[in-house]
Amino acid sequence: MGYRFIEHTADIAVEVEGESLNDLFISSCYAWREAAMDISSFQKESSKKFIFNSTNLEVLLIELLSELNFQLYSKGWVFVTIQNLFLEETDSGYHLEIELFGQKHNSEIHKFKEEIKAVTFHQMKIEKVNNTYKTLIVFDI
Amino acid sequence: MRISGIEIEKVNDNLWEIPKFGGMLVPGRIYTSEKMLEGTLQNDEALKQVVNVAHLPGIQKYSLAMPDIHWGYGFPIGGVAATDINNGVISPGGVGYDINCGVRLARTSLNFESIKNRIQKLVENLFNDIPTGVGASGAIKKLNAAEIKKILRDGAEWAVSNGFGSKHDIELTEENGKLKDADPEAVSPRAIERGMDQAGTLGSGNHFLEIDFVEEIFDENAAEIFGLFKGQIVIQIHTGSRGLGYQVCDDYLKVLVQAEKKYGFKLPDKQLACAPIKSTEGQNYLHAMRAAANFAWNNRQVIMHLARNSFKRTLSISDAELEFELIYDVCHNIAKIEEHEIDGEVKKVCVHRKGATRAFPPGSKFIPEKYRSVGQPVLIPGDMGRYSYIAVGTEKAMRETFGSSCHGAGRVQSRHQALKEAKGRNLVEELTKKGIVIQAKGYKTIAEEMPHAYKDVSEVVEVMHHAGISTKVAKLKPAGVIKG
Repeated sequence: MGYRFIEHTADIAVEVEGESLNDLFISSCYAWREAAMDISSFQKESSKKFIFNSTNLEVLLIELLSELNFQLYSKGWVFVTIQNLFLEETDSGYHLEIELFGQKHNSEIHKFKEEIKAVTFHQMKIEKVNNTYKTLIVFDI
Repeated sequence: MRISGIEIEKVNDNLWEIPKFGGMLVPGRIYTSEKMLEGTLQNDEALKQVVNVAHLPGIQKYSLAMPDIHWGYGFPIGGVAATDINNGVISPGGVGYDINCGVRLARTSLNFESIKNRIQKLVENLFNDIPTGVGASGAIKKLNAAEIKKILRDGAEWAVSNGFGSKHDIELTEENGKLKDADPEAVSPRAIERGMDQAGTLGSGNHFLEIDFVEEIFDENAAEIFGLFKGQIVIQIHTGSRGLGYQVCDDYLKVLVQAEKKYGFKLPDKQLACAPIKSTEGQNYLHAMRAAANFAWNNRQVIMHLARNSFKRTLSISDAELEFELIYDVCHNIAKIEEHEIDGEVKKVCVHRKGATRAFPPGSKFIPEKYRSVGQPVLIPGDMGRYSYIAVGTEKAMRETFGSSCHGAGRVQSRHQALKEAKGRNLVEELTKKGIVIQAKGYKTIAEEMPHAYKDVSEVVEVMHHAGISTKVAKLKPAGVIKG
């Protein structure tokens, strides 16, 4: 379970898997962080909570990772760890609540690796194979 | 022959065709050489993406790819597709996240030989004056939302009216640096926020500013009209709409992925999400995309002005002595409504160029009057260690590629492969030995962008030259590079 970066000519591709959808979403967040940042140390300075709703599971995952992108590049806030993640299927689709711990970007300890322009839909398909949820995520850099 | 699992037929030495199969609405056509086809494309997803694009509703003639084609997302990089504006679609994946990523080329009166010992200082000053790298900001004071909306509406005109350049620059920019029918209100507050401190910033990755000199001239007449001479110092700027453009694409992809069901489309890749051009979703995206394109033109205009000032200060010379003037500015990630002849009839189509440059011919009313006798300048940057090219558009491009040509070298190595290959080498020293001064935010960028991570751009340019799509005017050699 977890994630594994794979070769991609121009961008960054990562295969993510989890025993549950929650695990898959959590691993995806950490894969995003590893692609974007080189973090030598962490501090849980502040927390932020986000809520997303979508009829589509892939859109939901992209909404979440895009939020991490926005928080980093526009708000200067680095996500450090996940406190809670609640994901449920509803009558109208999916509902996600996530609480993250993080800190203000500090260029001494948080080195940018790549500028992730966006989290793409390319080849993204969340599937359950032999009791494991899997997806591929391509980050445009 | 079969390449990457796809049957492909030779049309001629520079053109190959993927016959229609499955849900393809048109055949695919790839401008390339046998060498590149059997080499770099052999284990690439790019050809599959040419096939996928051929599924777009309303696509006309062919799903096209230029010789710098490589694996993108949705569309291949180097992809061109025109869709009928009445029954066709617009796809943000056919433009990309970096809306109006493009290249600007400026000339000077300087001769390389006379300033070659000042290149180091020029690079240092350019690097200090132009914000580069991830999260770069502060080229000009942070703008508020109202000011950003003016940029989204007015494009490069905003820069000129705020003291960053002259009216002359506007005349030599594709679309005069401003797409009409841009609607700032179609751009989300989040996208505007991302743009507030990014006007005039270069960014990271493959974006760069280069000091080049003209090494070789192939077309004396066109070179003279573009104001080029051998040994001359010119400046190339490659960047786009930064975070604002990425956010616009992101916002609308989410909308259009959901619209797929509404319009009953069955697409082979979610990244090809699209909507009918005339639908509310399609029109909203077009209005927002044009606004982001205007932000990019303003960005390149501001950067060029900052570069002009760096040159003047470093060399202690006046504007009149420096003659730092724009040659042309082209976008290579865009969708535009254009008229093209299809089956003997002039039709309005939406031309998606994703990593492809417009290449309009001599006589086109859409190019600056001073260039109409030779055609539109096509700017084709290579990698930082070898060379770049200037070409011109042709009538054949109008007939075959919806007036489009290649946009660069195209990557052949992943960043990971490039980093592995760079291990134990001193790339800065290697470039210095070749007479190229480089300054970047970090060594990692230099390693990832090392020359051999890219195809040899001359192979790409030769295909288009021999295919008669864009013909060579001049070859540029890098002397100084700044990167993020």
